Amino acid sequence: MPTAVICGVTGQDGAYLSELLLSKGYQVIGTSRDAEATRASNLRRIGVADRVPIVSTTLTDFRSVMQLLTKYKPDELYNLAGQSSVSLSFEQPVETLESIGQGTITLLEAIRFIGRPMRLYNAGSAECFGDSAEPCTEETPFRPRSPYAVAKATAHWALANYREAYGLHACTGILFNHESPLRSPRFVTRKIVAAACRIASGSKEKLKLGNIDVERDWGWAPEYVDAMWRILQHPVPKDYVIATGVTVSLRDFIQAAFGHVGLNWHDHVENNPELIRPSEIRRGHANPQLARELLGWQAKVHVEQVVTRMIEAERTAEKVLEN
Amino acid sequence: MTKALITGITGQDGSYLAELLLKKGYEVFGLVRRSSSFNTGRIDHIYRDSHDPETRLRLVYGDLNDASSLNHMLRTIRPDEIYNLGAQSHVRVSFDVPEYTAEVTGLGCLRILEAIRESGLNCKFYQASSSELYGKVVEVPQKETTPFYPRSPYACAKAFAYYITVNYRESYGTFATNGILFNHESPRRGETFVTRKITRGIANIKFGLDDKLYLGNLDAKRDWGFAGDYVEGMWMMMQQAEPDDYVLATGETHSVREFLDLAFDYAGLDWKKHVEIDPRYFRPAEVDLLLGDSTKARKKLGWQPRVSFPELVRMMVDADLELIRARVHGTGASTRPVRAD
Repeated sequence: MPTAVICGVTGQDGAYLSELLLSKGYQVIGTSRDAEATRASNLRRIGVADRVPIVSTTLTDFRSVMQLLTKYKPDELYNLAGQSSVSLSFEQPVETLESIGQGTITLLEAIRFIGRPMRLYNAGSAECFGDSAEPCTEETPFRPRSPYAVAKATAHWALANYREAYGLHACTGILFNHESPLRSPRFVTRKIVAAACRIASGSKEKLKLGNIDVERDWGWAPEYVDAMWRILQHPVPKDYVIATGVTVSLRDFIQAAFGHVGLNWHDHVENNPELIRPSEIRRGHANPQLARELLGWQAKVHVEQVVTRMIEAERTAEKVLEN
Repeated sequence: MTKALITGITGQDGSYLAELLLKKGYEVFGLVRRSSSFNTGRIDHIYRDSHDPETRLRLVYGDLNDASSLNHMLRTIRPDEIYNLGAQSHVRVSFDVPEYTAEVTGLGCLRILEAIRESGLNCKFYQASSSELYGKVVEVPQKETTPFYPRSPYACAKAFAYYITVNYRESYGTFATNGILFNHESPRRGETFVTRKITRGIANIKFGLDDKLYLGNLDAKRDWGFAGDYVEGMWMMMQQAEPDDYVLATGETHSVREFLDLAFDYAGLDWKKHVEIDPRYFRPAEVDLLLGDSTKARKKLGWQPRVSFPELVRMMVDADLELIRARVHGTGASTRPVRAD
């Protein structure tokens, strides 16, 4: 039975990836900074919490990482840990760089030091591209526009360097936005969906948003964790862009979400300039051709269904709370 | 309105302190670390939605590892009192993550002191120091003048924080105070701390969910008080005209074994039938005996613990029995999502 370690298992992707790997017969070990304190609510919600032991690990702590890798001897290691919010990264730039940049380098160093063959997947980000005129591929140069993106770019290049310098089987997945009901309410998609559902159930609140003209490629997270797994199964380690290939504006997302619950979004959404980021990416768009050709991976769920599924899940959760 | 900033608000002491300060009319800001699964169970009952104009408790994202976020917070909140309760607070875990423990528990304190100095704010600072500083004790009982002998990465980090707090008081005139608190427990104690582990274990055994309880060193002796009493002591230290360091303790010491006797007996069980020793829970270097002398706090602050050791044990057993009962019967309180601003 192959063993996989997922660093940052309590997040959205960690939960779905655990579920996928368990279904493929892996033994899955998860990490979190404080295994005792975490409620592991995402793992619980999809019903895999009992099958994924969580170990306290801090990626910036070398001993902690060494201990993890020597004890569990993983065949595959998925690094999904780190500060994950672009907007929070403007408030906590140092912690963002440490948890993502230094965390990844510590992991690479530990793998190199141990010298055991293991495959590493690292969660890269399409935020690294910044504003790009062309649909982004693996060859598109990075122009990061937030502390988060700078940290992800650092991790990206560190990993590529260790792959070339020391022959590690290490890959970065450059994932565009991928959403699900497990998204934290801090993220704009979930914030919109949750507000639309509350307003539909009678709440009088106004939904305050920043720039709604931004355009993004939004996919369905459970499909993206399948791409992560496929990336590690390919015999040659490479980096891949993972996206649906379809870009829409945040305005479209809002309209779809409110429309789905029978509301006109114009009546409920207000602009709040405080939420506009110091530097914003206007448009994210992708060309995920390489993943299709080499991994046979292609997104089946597009943004309309992402909205529908998130709304439905939110309404089910509301009903559970009421009862 | 007096403003207080609490780091570590989601922990045991943070939640009791927030309750106390809200009751005293403070506006309370709690620092929370980013996390995928929000761990706010201990403050859900006092948290109101941030859009509610009446709310006096606000949660803000920040991190003791991020000096710039702390500086920004001080500048925007401008607190009158800061209580630094945030830490990697588990002694056994500190042997597994020593570097991280030193960062958060040690340097975290320095980053706040620096931010206070940098901001020029006239604000008071409380540092949560720990009886673990006494470690391999050089005298019994331990008081403010007893030399330290830290025996874990946690205690070493706390020693740094203690001394740097004194140093900033003396070098820059910061109102900075150390509360050297002996063990203080409650139904909100983290589930991996030995007292809570025992009372939770009892509840599980009582409801037939478990039969065994695995523990480490039963001979360790500690001075155990009730956390609710201790946060009052913290507040009192901050109301003094001059900053100083104080020991808070009950003045009684009991072994883990005695805790087991009282707790199991109260639940009508015999611990010898259920408890097994697992050497994994032994610390590489153990602290055998802690016993505090809090004469200074009693005289100068008028502080006194109210809850006795047997009362504390019973309170914790009762609370865990109730918790498991509610879970078994499916009447547990639904958890409401809490958002930080």
